[in-house]
Amino acid sequence: MKVEVDGHTVTVPEGATLLEAVRAAGGAVPTLCNDDRLSPSGACRICLVCAEGRTVAACVTPAAEGDRIRTDDPRSLAAARRTLELIVSELSEHALELPPERSELVRACETLGVTRDNFRGEQIPGRRDDSHPYVKLDTDLCIACGRCVRMCDEVQGTFALELVGRGFATVVAPGSGGSWLESDCVACGGCVDSCPTGALSEPGFLDLRPIERVIVTTCGYCGVGCALDVHVREGEVAAVTPNHSSPTNRGHACVKGRFAHGFVHSPDRLTTPLIRRGGDLEPASWDEALAFVAGRLLRIRERHGPDSIATISSARATNEENYLVQKLMRAVIGTNNVDNCSRLCHSPSAAGLTASFGVSGGTNPFDDFDRVNCFLLAGANPTEAHPVVGARMKQRVIQGASLVVVDPRRIELAGYADVHLRPRPGSNVAVFNGLARVLLEEGFADETFLAERAEELDALRDVLRDHSPERVEEISGVPASELRRAARLYGSAGCASIVYGLGITEHSHGTDGVRTLANLAVLTGQVGTDGGGGVNPLRGQNNVQGASDMGALPDYLPGYQRLTDDEAVARVEREWGVRLDRRPGLRILDMFAAALDGRLKALWVIGEDIAQTDPNTHRVEAAIDACELVISQDLFLSRTARRADVVFPAASFLEKDGTFVNFDRRVQRVRRAVSPPGDALPDFEIVNLMAGALGADLGCPTPDAAMDEIARVAPDFGGISHARLDRVGPIHWPCRSADDPGTPTLHLERFATASGKAQLAARGYLPPGEDSDAEYPFVLMTGRRLEHYNAGTMTRRTSNLDLLPQERLEVNPADAARLGLSAAERAEVTSRRGRIEVRLEVTERVAPGQLFMAFHFPEALANVLTSDACDDVTSCPEYKVTAVRLGPAGATS
Amino acid sequence: MVSSTRRQAAIELERRYHRGATEVLDRLRRAKAERGRIAPEDVDRLAAELGLPRAHVNGAASFYSDLGFGRRRGRAVRVCDGAACFAATRGTHLQAVRDAAEGGEDAGSVERVYCLGYCYASPAALDGETPHVGIDLAEQLAGRAPRGDPPIPFAAAVEDPVALSRLLGAGPAPWSVWEQVVSELGGAERVLREVTRSGLRGRGGAGFPAARKWELARAAPGVGPRYVVVNGDEGDPGSYADRLLMERDPHGVLEGTALAALACGADRGYVYVRSEYPAARDALRAAVLEARAAGHLGPNVHGSRFDFDVEVFEGAGSYVAGEETALLHSMEGLRGGAAPRPPFPAGRGGLYGAPTVVNNVETLSALQWIVDRGGDAYAARGTERSHGTKLVCLNEAFARPGVYEVDFGIPLEQVCVGLGGGLRDGRKLRALQVGGPLGGFLAPEELDTPLSIEALAERRVSLGHGSLVAFDERVSGRELLLHLWRFADDENCGTCSPCRVGSRRGLEIAERIAADQAETGDAQRLDELLETMEQASLCGFGQGVPAPVRGMLRIYGDDVGLRQ
Repeated sequence: MKVEVDGHTVTVPEGATLLEAVRAAGGAVPTLCNDDRLSPSGACRICLVCAEGRTVAACVTPAAEGDRIRTDDPRSLAAARRTLELIVSELSEHALELPPERSELVRACETLGVTRDNFRGEQIPGRRDDSHPYVKLDTDLCIACGRCVRMCDEVQGTFALELVGRGFATVVAPGSGGSWLESDCVACGGCVDSCPTGALSEPGFLDLRPIERVIVTTCGYCGVGCALDVHVREGEVAAVTPNHSSPTNRGHACVKGRFAHGFVHSPDRLTTPLIRRGGDLEPASWDEALAFVAGRLLRIRERHGPDSIATISSARATNEENYLVQKLMRAVIGTNNVDNCSRLCHSPSAAGLTASFGVSGGTNPFDDFDRVNCFLLAGANPTEAHPVVGARMKQRVIQGASLVVVDPRRIELAGYADVHLRPRPGSNVAVFNGLARVLLEEGFADETFLAERAEELDALRDVLRDHSPERVEEISGVPASELRRAARLYGSAGCASIVYGLGITEHSHGTDGVRTLANLAVLTGQVGTDGGGGVNPLRGQNNVQGASDMGALPDYLPGYQRLTDDEAVARVEREWGVRLDRRPGLRILDMFAAALDGRLKALWVIGEDIAQTDPNTHRVEAAIDACELVISQDLFLSRTARRADVVFPAASFLEKDGTFVNFDRRVQRVRRAVSPPGDALPDFEIVNLMAGALGADLGCPTPDAAMDEIARVAPDFGGISHARLDRVGPIHWPCRSADDPGTPTLHLERFATASGKAQLAARGYLPPGEDSDAEYPFVLMTGRRLEHYNAGTMTRRTSNLDLLPQERLEVNPADAARLGLSAAERAEVTSRRGRIEVRLEVTERVAPGQLFMAFHFPEALANVLTSDACDDVTSCPEYKVTAVRLGPAGATS
Repeated sequence: MVSSTRRQAAIELERRYHRGATEVLDRLRRAKAERGRIAPEDVDRLAAELGLPRAHVNGAASFYSDLGFGRRRGRAVRVCDGAACFAATRGTHLQAVRDAAEGGEDAGSVERVYCLGYCYASPAALDGETPHVGIDLAEQLAGRAPRGDPPIPFAAAVEDPVALSRLLGAGPAPWSVWEQVVSELGGAERVLREVTRSGLRGRGGAGFPAARKWELARAAPGVGPRYVVVNGDEGDPGSYADRLLMERDPHGVLEGTALAALACGADRGYVYVRSEYPAARDALRAAVLEARAAGHLGPNVHGSRFDFDVEVFEGAGSYVAGEETALLHSMEGLRGGAAPRPPFPAGRGGLYGAPTVVNNVETLSALQWIVDRGGDAYAARGTERSHGTKLVCLNEAFARPGVYEVDFGIPLEQVCVGLGGGLRDGRKLRALQVGGPLGGFLAPEELDTPLSIEALAERRVSLGHGSLVAFDERVSGRELLLHLWRFADDENCGTCSPCRVGSRRGLEIAERIAADQAETGDAQRLDELLETMEQASLCGFGQGVPAPVRGMLRIYGDDVGLRQ
């Protein structure tokens, strides 16, 4: 439709507002209540223009064909100017004293030529709320524009804020009107990011000294892969805000990426290498440390062979770093003993999705959420562990998409679910088979799709004979009627998306869980099709997808090329100029076993605190102690580092260049914002130096050179380079050439399996590796909290610790009452492997007989309890099912 | 402002879990009654019980006058400071009541409200829910004079009354038209057809053709519920016609509601009654029970395939909540601010996102007549553009105050003098406020204006709800100016800045003028303020405040004493 703005004709789409039309014409009108991330509200009324002779607010007025709009109409302009004068008159003096770059209000006043003279009068009563470590409220500056409220409602979906009062007294307030800290705020920072006046601010911006530069990078916390703007002042990170133009997070972030950056400048960062001398770790130079390690490694290799050396690479490091690590191990040391922590989380996804579809990656892009009308959310708690995904899912559900939650716990999104299935931990396969059976029985299967694009239906039907909803109810405790409702919602949705997490994979039959879950998408034609929602694993760590993509795996070369693939091996050998050992190396848990039985002598652990995060802590510690040489490469002196022989000080994600791959296979740039402290170095440089000390040259002097080599070695990355990413933004792999736009949705033409067809999995229910019994009557599940991340090494060094200072074991009120336990006391939790003490949270969130705790806190080491039981296919530990006993603290001792 | 997502979330929670957002205001009212104030703990508890965000409940709790008032236990007295009561005493009754309450044992709280609908016998107050009316109001409240509670006088100034037909014993018995139409084939179409032909326009003030609204709702896609909401939030001070209809002819209102529901395919109705009208609330609730018992409401009404039932919803004190989008927000337990339209309530902007027709009480009261006698008969009355009849309300200053049903087009002179008998006790008219606080003022020499939407518009007056409040010589221009701004400041919702801040600045200027402390430039500032509010405000409230202020200034002129 055509409209005329100040005499210039522009074409705007149907439904465009006058503001959009003005912008399309290259014009501008000042705004305060407008934020392009939010629905317009028309509250501030300073974007007044004259349309067809009437003064209207441009942001909320739809454009009509042939409209003539003037932004310079004297009457409209005068009304806008006086409105702004009125706004200014209700604010405290310091509203206009902020630097323009911190205040849209100041900029609007400059544009409209407003000073605070004309309308004087009563000002709104000021109230400062500094209770929250990150979100600071000063109602002195609040113009009741409601951007914060809409941000919280429309983007974050927490509904923590509302305007309160009426008329002149209207201001924003959190929760039930108490302090911000006590409110429901989850500190995503959206409100602060949107506030046009500084009424809501954060510590980094309350400091009025100027920001020197803003670097765009990718978040180093979970696998969502949010793009962040890092605001740097005097060489330090002053603040981090969500990047508004990122297609991934669309101007949103969470309490971790947004605020938990203080660890970077923590005084206890490692700033120099350490070598254990006479029992103590003592500072050393890089030359000393590298020479020491190189000498020991060469001697170990000489005596025990290359397979006596292993590396746990890091899912937090960049692609380029992971590539370099596995290259060093394979090409310089000569072993395939390299693994990464995806082993402990999503290896069943890799195995399961590869078996079902042929590619180890989620099938559909995050953007597809916009058109999904049913989510099957299984074993994931995204509003805590992947907040930006959780928030977007919640928005879609609020818009009317149906939601089926499969989780033993009553997670936040269960409160929005149409159906919440709460299977007994370890019974996922039964539930998914039950859903599959109902889909087939009730005619929800896509027969054409099944006939043309899938295989093994008959085998599946055989298995499903034993999985009637009633039988599934016996196994899982999920009522048959609820199972049927869930299947109908998923089956009839049109576009249904499976989103899942570690509640599916971290089981003895985790790979079966993934495969039987994937069956549902195959049966209904929801995967590999234009209209489908696919099967989408939520990745735990920032680059857990990339670490595996880069071949930091004992059985795969970069780009998931098998060691048995002659062509791939030849290509890699040609590029690297070496012969590869084609026997698979050790997986992480096998490394510990090998250390304990003397086969493994040296272990290099990069960016992981295995003594806290890996299962059965006592055994992991014994394995560390059994090695002749343990190198810990980390930001901090972690539990693992304390037991190591050598410690390498590494750089954080804010201090390095490279790329990460997020959960939907988007390759995104990581850019250095600040320098690492002291002698700390990026992993990339450490690995290169290590190679040098071993007398080798890895041939990749810089991260971008490494990416170029990756493109040559791994065909799925053939079209990716730093230069291209800088130019066009994130690209979904596979991207095979410079003119390949990337592949947001996989399998649209054929599946990547040998036959080109999706493989239905005929896998029956099998009991978990460990189950509750008379002696250990509870089932403990482990997982994450919103405020903390993994071992907590980063988040516990920030004010996130004020938001969640300690772990609390979740126990059902009925169980707590029966055992006479209360939230005020510490309790003792004992498994067959160990015993810990922890405080309790008595909550309906967990079902009777079940317990939940996170593994973020060394004071409450969940993994002392967890077992070595692991997935029969991939050795992923069964973190989600541990039989334990619960009692008052001190009962045993 | 009500965020559309917050509203949508409430709608989805209601759809999936019946979280009962409609209970928010009632539950808050109960909490307030029990403890005298609503504490954060009450908000927390209610939010948990209703499964709603705490901020959602807190935002509502802080918005409505009834919920914020008092902060004290015990007796709660709401004293009317609407235009008529103000005209009767220049506002002195408010202070008198406060003074009288001061010394009492059970002091409780005394709060200013805008209009209790006793404009024919001002001033008035509600002690709890018990009315006290008359010039000796403070004495009555103190127990030193007998309680006055005169009934509303009403009369038809036409031979064949429409809205007042049942009250005057003319026309068919209540529910008789309904009983016939609901069971006849094509009954819904007949109602729609006759009302379309009648040209009936909404009597709430906006004047939107009633049948067109229904057609929008009929045409709205979707298979879910559809609602008719009766707007019984008669907020315009000076108007009490809807109170009359709701209290004395509740079956007529409900029959009209049922007819509208049939025409637009709604299966559920709500009557939103303002909390200032407790007797109307009770009368309607009793009438709903009677109508159910008589089979006029319920499943398969009178053996038809039509299910329809009605519930009565009580407001919590907000003028703006009378606007239709704000009214729906209020029912959904949200802050009662207006929302931009589209989306229209009759489409997807209705109650809980369902197509919803919001009709005014007086509009619905005309339906029985129209369906019974035919749309053409109605259209033949009134003026070319304002069809049919209108209820007008005359305040206590007239010799014969009351509700009169008149044909559109009757000159105001005839209403004021012919019906109202002119001002009582030989008082002299200084200004006539027409259509409430957003309507306008006419000077005595302008009473030749016919009572019609279009003729009044030429005088920059909008008919609004049809109230006529006469101000005599005793009220000064300064006092009246202050009164107008106080209302604007008390009742604006706070959403848009020109109205939120502008109303306060206007009040401050009026206070300065009243105290004879006007500053240089105040006249120009007031002028700019009015222009800005009119041009820039979000809804009809802020846009509507300036015209009456200007009209009043034009009439009082030098008496206000604005310095340039």
